[in-house]
Amino acid sequence: MRNRTVIQEFIKGLWEENPVLVSLLGLCPVLAVTVSAENGMAMGLAATFVLISSSFLVSMFRKVIPGQVRIASYIVIIATFVTIADRFLAAFTPDISKSLGPFIPLIIVNCIILGRQEAFASKNNIGRSLLDALGMGVGFTLTLLVLSSIREILGSGTWFGMEIMWPSFSPWQVMILPPGAFLALGCMIAGANWINRRRKS
Amino acid sequence: MNLIVIFISAALINNFILSQFLGICPFVGVSKKIDSAFSMGIAVTFVMVISAMVTWLIYHLILVPFNLQILEYVAFILVIASLVQLVEMFIRKVSKPLYDALGIFLPLITTNCAILGLALNAVLNEYNFSETLIYSVGAGLGFTMALVIMAGIREELELAPVPRSFQGAAITMIVAGSLALAFMGFAGLI
Amino acid sequence: MSNTAKIIIVLTLITMISGGVLALLDNYTKPRIEAYKEKVKNAAVDEVLPPNDRVEKIEKGEYQFYVAYKGNDIIAIAFKAFGGGFQSKLVLMVGITPDFTEITSVKMLEQVETPGLGTKIEYDPANKEKPAWFTDQFKNLKTQPEITYVKNVKPTKNTEIQAITGATISSKAVVIILNEHIAKAKATWESN
Repeated sequence: MRNRTVIQEFIKGLWEENPVLVSLLGLCPVLAVTVSAENGMAMGLAATFVLISSSFLVSMFRKVIPGQVRIASYIVIIATFVTIADRFLAAFTPDISKSLGPFIPLIIVNCIILGRQEAFASKNNIGRSLLDALGMGVGFTLTLLVLSSIREILGSGTWFGMEIMWPSFSPWQVMILPPGAFLALGCMIAGANWINRRRKS
Repeated sequence: MNLIVIFISAALINNFILSQFLGICPFVGVSKKIDSAFSMGIAVTFVMVISAMVTWLIYHLILVPFNLQILEYVAFILVIASLVQLVEMFIRKVSKPLYDALGIFLPLITTNCAILGLALNAVLNEYNFSETLIYSVGAGLGFTMALVIMAGIREELELAPVPRSFQGAAITMIVAGSLALAFMGFAGLI
Repeated sequence: MSNTAKIIIVLTLITMISGGVLALLDNYTKPRIEAYKEKVKNAAVDEVLPPNDRVEKIEKGEYQFYVAYKGNDIIAIAFKAFGGGFQSKLVLMVGITPDFTEITSVKMLEQVETPGLGTKIEYDPANKEKPAWFTDQFKNLKTQPEITYVKNVKPTKNTEIQAITGATISSKAVVIILNEHIAKAKATWESN
């Protein structure tokens, strides 16, 4: 891991170790909020904010926090940043806060965030931890954006609220319902597997 | 009457996995064998019920009277994390067979969003104590049921010719999608 | 320093700092959030009440009544009604005539129902001209003996509304909440 270049540290989160498509982490918010591109984007950015800030703190204090209580310490740090994100969304973008509603607090138990603290930030210096967090965050946000775009375009015929399908298009309502989330994500994972196989051979 | 509606709605209609998307990680990870799926489900139900009651008490007896709702998330997750540890220690002391059955699943539960989601939902829906209790039992049983059904299907899937790209997580998601579709039918119950 | 002491000190420090940061955050964001809620509520009050000269706020029992006057006559009253929906709490602002027999208008304040189905009680993207057609049905609806709903057909009675296809439970919840709160608010309003 040490011999990765700075760029590689960032890039790995986008595809090779993409938290959603490859590691299958943090699936709850991925499935739940992706009914519209706007929601997916907002969720991705909120999680990225929490990931970067907690990675920074955890990496900074990695030598001070005793091993036995590291998980407890990480979740307090994460929960604090999630509360900050939650309140800021509620105060400045009330509409988004309303539609993401109950899913913001679940960022606390998003396995990506705790996983990165445990696997990376607690063992690496601040610079590398920030790059790692940024890469993972961007990878997470992009995946959410693609999934939510697919669901919104097929399910409502719109993208970021704009009409983009032809007028006679009848929306596939199932795509914005819970089953559509599973089906769309299943196809995306299969697509990622297929691309990876093609690249290898 | 109201309690029955809450129970049915938590277990079937708003099934935690298939319609609320809570607790997907263990759903993908542990649903390969029926035995382990069942044990995981029971362990989660157990922790859910206890943590829902404790967080309800903390929220209504400490956070609300002192106007500290901003600490909701931090307090809840700390309580859940410590509860899981306590439950683990307690089970290890009291019952060896039970520990062998549930032990390995308990640490995983801290980061199971279903537990935190349940505690937060109970507050959001303004349930009273008995409603919270029924809600958590219903949600836990619904969770167990979805996990076991999924494990049954995945055991069969091992023998099925799944396209190569779809093997593993992808086909699990597609199957979960079909299950979610089926569970939507329960909406007509109430 | 023993390990136990270190654990206790570190954990205490972390939680204390977290508490401090959140207290500051609370002070900073609370006024904004409250102000926004107030704004939404006032907008809803304006929307559900008919044109008037002035609105007075009267607290009675568990309700806050917003009373609209024209000259010295009360022309309508607005209040908040709430209750359980399909999977979330629903909060509505209801405008009603002073004798509580005819709704002037209804506005959805809070709901987190199933996206694409239950959310149509607030906003239906498929209906381009009237996305809030569901709550619009309550305009000038009679409340006595009680509000009822029908499925898949046009309402025939002046106390009837049409439920949303695929979201009967959410639609039904709105009707139940309204019946219950109109009766309760009427009793509260008329008591002294």
